[in-house]
Amino acid sequence: MLEIRDLHAAVAGEPILKGLNLTVNAGEVHAIMGPNGSGKSTLANVLAGKDNYEITGGDALFEGKSLADLEPEERAQLGLFLAFQYPVEIPGVSNMEFLKAALEATRKAQGKEEWDSVTLLRKARETCKQVDLDPQFLKRGVNEGFSGGEKKRNEIMQMLLMEPKLALLDETDSGLDIDALQTVARGVNSLRSPERGIVLVTHYQRLLDYIVPDFVHVLSNGQIIKSGGKELAHELEEHGYGWLTGDRNDGKDQSA
Amino acid sequence: MSALLSPEDLKRQALANVQDATESNAENPALTALRDSSLAALKAAVFPGRKTEQWKYTSLQPLADGHLNRRAAAAATPADLPELGDYRLVLVNGRLDESSSALPDGVTLKREASRLEGLTTPFALYNGAALDDAITLEVAANTDVAGTVQVIHYADGDQPAHCNTRLEVVLGTGSRMTLIEQYLGRGPVLTNAVTAIETRDNAHLSHYRLQSEARDSLHIGTLLLRQSGVSRIDSYQLMAGNRLRRNDVRAFIDKSGAELNMNGIFVARDRTHIDNQLCVEHRVPDCTSNQVYRGLAGEKGKAILNGRIHIHPGASGTLAELSNKNLLLNPGAEIYTKPELEIYNDDVKCAHGATVGQLDAGQQFYLQARGVPLAEAKRMLSLGFVNELVMGLPDQTVADWAQPWLAGELGQSRGADEEAA
Repeated sequence: MLEIRDLHAAVAGEPILKGLNLTVNAGEVHAIMGPNGSGKSTLANVLAGKDNYEITGGDALFEGKSLADLEPEERAQLGLFLAFQYPVEIPGVSNMEFLKAALEATRKAQGKEEWDSVTLLRKARETCKQVDLDPQFLKRGVNEGFSGGEKKRNEIMQMLLMEPKLALLDETDSGLDIDALQTVARGVNSLRSPERGIVLVTHYQRLLDYIVPDFVHVLSNGQIIKSGGKELAHELEEHGYGWLTGDRNDGKDQSA
Repeated sequence: MSALLSPEDLKRQALANVQDATESNAENPALTALRDSSLAALKAAVFPGRKTEQWKYTSLQPLADGHLNRRAAAAATPADLPELGDYRLVLVNGRLDESSSALPDGVTLKREASRLEGLTTPFALYNGAALDDAITLEVAANTDVAGTVQVIHYADGDQPAHCNTRLEVVLGTGSRMTLIEQYLGRGPVLTNAVTAIETRDNAHLSHYRLQSEARDSLHIGTLLLRQSGVSRIDSYQLMAGNRLRRNDVRAFIDKSGAELNMNGIFVARDRTHIDNQLCVEHRVPDCTSNQVYRGLAGEKGKAILNGRIHIHPGASGTLAELSNKNLLLNPGAEIYTKPELEIYNDDVKCAHGATVGQLDAGQQFYLQARGVPLAEAKRMLSLGFVNELVMGLPDQTVADWAQPWLAGELGQSRGADEEAA
């Protein structure tokens, strides 16, 4: 489903990813962990196609197509979904209008039956409840005045409605209290299916108590330096990233 | 390329028309006095040129095509004009089409116009000097007009020409009315328009000014508001760019306790032009004015807003606000905005703000990342920028008309093919 081969990428000219390899098959849940500045968010943004995130070498194939050749909207239409670390506020555009535009564009591109506005509203309300978001939020501007937790729940709500083939969650756990974390995890777990791939980018092991990954990868300095099963996350929690990167303080003491 | 047009050329052209028109004066004797006094003032007036401050960003060079040399001929009322009100008046090239027009009880129509304070620009004077027809609506005292009144000014012509169109409205004591002024048209015609509205004590006017004539048309218009009584005016102005659009809006707030609210949206895309010159005159104590304008410009379009608030020495206790936010849709577009406060009294509260920004790259990416194509994302964000004002339109029929209209104006550039070619 996703095949990343020797990927090099730069942000505003500065190399961040330096030969990253990763294969995600349908039905798998992968966690990518790593210290600050290791390139986790860069990987998510490169895959989604953000401006200024440039692929300088290697390739990232999604469903056999090179992502570098595709506009961000084409990637989304193919079934790639990025849950943002920092969801953007869009005053003046209501959540409902936004969902309508997103679902029209993606469902049409994927040859799925289009939803009329009644169906869409019903599904959106149901999905809101699923992630503990007041359906009143549908009328408000996209993420406008939402708390950090509400924004993250809104991302999960969108993901559930859009039913992507591959979901990339960029630090969706950051800034969440334990209740919100469980809500988000329930949402993600409900999407687990043999046809779908999920990639969790996270800093902490905490999320992985609720969404148990099949594979854990450690990203450091733009490369995956270790891969393993879910137990790798526990080892990291115990020893810190310094255990793998050689810097004893990294991950334990950010001021060092 | 046409030769450079000087202020003297413009004046010569304008005066030539009015001298030619003297024969038709007999047609409507009620207009004779206005025409004569306007002509006298016009003879002393100076037309704007490149160095006129209030015309700094607007060139009258498009008139070199000869619009002022020719009056638009009488034309038939088109069949498919929008019906936004319960009652409708239609003026085609400045002349009332009686057969297409109707009015509710309590509103009387006269084919006349008055010499008014504040109509001082050469184009407003020329309008008075050259009128063939004019509409004055009087709303009787204590009448809550049943139904909205739509006045359509339609400009029609195949070659460069001009028409003069004029509407005056007086709201009597204790009356209420919703007035929808709509400017539409076809062809390269200059509409030289004057609208003058007076509100007496306890009158309340909801006023819509919708301007979307043909892309190759020109419009030079004055809106004069006079609150002679303790009254309230809510004015909503929606404007599309055309070859040259110039709006002079002048409000006199003349009775303590009066309230003026003006909201506007203007869109200049595809090399079109809109110039808004607003001037609110607070001449007495304890009045309120609120102005909120949003502008968008794209594809070498050019939009201008100059918002002057003039607080006279005696106008203590004035509350006056002006906000103008603008969005540049791409690098070739231009926006010029200038709030201008002139305050001769210490006991006032005034606020003004003007911004010019661009579409937010982060918002665009967020929409794209959800599958929305870039052009559609831009359209949604542009609509979002003015959405607050559109949602604030109290008349549902106008709001229902405005939403698709704006969606069209903010959609794909109509000049896209031409630019690519």
